[in-house]
Amino acid sequence: MGALTDKYCIVGVGETPHMRPSNRTTFSMACEAVKKAMADAGLEPREIDGMTSYQAGDSTSSSHVATALGIRLNYSLDIVGGGSSTEALVAHAIGLLEAGYCKVIVIFRSMNGRSGRRMGGQAPSGPVPPVRAEGDAQFYMHWGWTSPAQWFGMSAMRYLRDTGTTTKAFAEVAVAHRYHASLNPKAIMRTPITIEDHQRSRWVVKPFRLLDCCLETDVAAALIVTSRERAYDLRQPPVFIMGGTARTMAPNSAWNYSRPEIHYVAGNYGRNRLFGMAGISHKDIDLISCYDAFTFTTLIQLEAYGFCGKGEAGEFVKGGRLQIDHELPCNLSGGHLSEGYTHGISMVIENVRQLRHRVDDACPGWAEGKHTYDRAAGCRQVKHARIAACLGWGTETTSSSLILRGISA
Amino acid sequence: MPGPIDYSKITIVPDFDTAEWWAGTKQHKYLVRQCKACGHKWFPPFPACNKCTSMELTWYETAGRGVIHSYVVVTQPILSAFVEAVPYVVALIELDDCHEADGSLVRVAGVLLNDEAEVAIGLPVTVVFEHTPDPNIVIPRWRISGTAEDTWKFTE
Repeated sequence: MGALTDKYCIVGVGETPHMRPSNRTTFSMACEAVKKAMADAGLEPREIDGMTSYQAGDSTSSSHVATALGIRLNYSLDIVGGGSSTEALVAHAIGLLEAGYCKVIVIFRSMNGRSGRRMGGQAPSGPVPPVRAEGDAQFYMHWGWTSPAQWFGMSAMRYLRDTGTTTKAFAEVAVAHRYHASLNPKAIMRTPITIEDHQRSRWVVKPFRLLDCCLETDVAAALIVTSRERAYDLRQPPVFIMGGTARTMAPNSAWNYSRPEIHYVAGNYGRNRLFGMAGISHKDIDLISCYDAFTFTTLIQLEAYGFCGKGEAGEFVKGGRLQIDHELPCNLSGGHLSEGYTHGISMVIENVRQLRHRVDDACPGWAEGKHTYDRAAGCRQVKHARIAACLGWGTETTSSSLILRGISA
Repeated sequence: MPGPIDYSKITIVPDFDTAEWWAGTKQHKYLVRQCKACGHKWFPPFPACNKCTSMELTWYETAGRGVIHSYVVVTQPILSAFVEAVPYVVALIELDDCHEADGSLVRVAGVLLNDEAEVAIGLPVTVVFEHTPDPNIVIPRWRISGTAEDTWKFTE
């Protein structure tokens, strides 16, 4: 086990609703999310002394949020990043806490991902001024290759060719995550779908259909990390951090895929570090979150992190394996495909609630950990949820991860 | 053939690391970066050799030929420049003359002059230089230039 395994905990989580549009600032939403995470943990503003966030030039800063909420920080940092940043900032928080830079640290992401800066680009409607193509974009922009769907579609297409997988495997992911969203009152897309619904949905960029693509939402979410000694005194059952990786890279990570195998993604380089640090194996994992910017990103990371062999993910996910009450429940809140879009932090938050046994579902006693496990009645608590893996994705060449456990593990 | 791309809607901004590459396309040359010390080739033109870290660099003029390694078919435009172009194919092209003994290779991308019906992984392509309203900016595109035995096509 790692030197710091179980020494630090996630003790508070909170978020705004997923909105389209929010009609609010990212500043306002961030304050709400941080306030809810503090309330969840039972922490007062004066007890918080560290805050970090990640953003894509589309959000507010830690110092603003702290000031608005009357928090004086001993440590603050706002980094550039999207998917895979949450898990990386948890690793960063552990380093800060261990070194004594601060004692209780908040991590947040606030974004108007639908009404403000859209990750896939703005829809061209009406007269639009010329876009400036600088840095890497001066090459790919005039190739009409500018959105995550268009980029990741390139490795997905080659994957289909190299492995003989069909897009029915993509559909299995979409169906599983949507089923979980149907059990989540917070989710935007709650109507269950079938494999056929996926196959009939319109193309966005081949090989991706509409139901392969994540939602865009306006939302803020936050979580709080502190030492286990501090965690014991707080309101919620602590969730221990067993191990993780932080923005692991694949070699030659330039955007033009000049690696021999373009779908051999970054998680392959983080896998042994993750499980080595946590001191457990795949069979110990009860549930996962696996970044679903697209159905394909979930699929390929199952291989990268060793839940199945290379080229086997299509077979692996068949028959609903990723659904609750099956072998490897994945993205229990519905994920970015069906709950809403937060650049990953909502997936970690869902796993924290699952491991506390306090998922905020339709069960009247959920806040006290009383669940019926009756899916027809809207319960989405995984039975015997003890250990969860969070598999974050930035691109094919960037990945972060966590393994978390609840107190019953 | 896909519809026209409105290059007036994209302002390319060459910089210290890329200006000579754009000067190359203006002369209808498809350049990649090359290390003066060890001969290694790479693209995009990052400022150091990723094999030996040398920053003494030159350019290698490729033959502008390669093989389609993968592709996507864009049916929904994101940039206003591409509103008339959809559906179009972006191909990932493995350049023929940048393979090295240790397996290192160079891939580039570009909008095919061919339609989706014609594209397949494994087909050979040749560069075609397309002029834009800005006389200093010439854009490389690609045309399928032959057949191949081992090809694969997305048919869903």
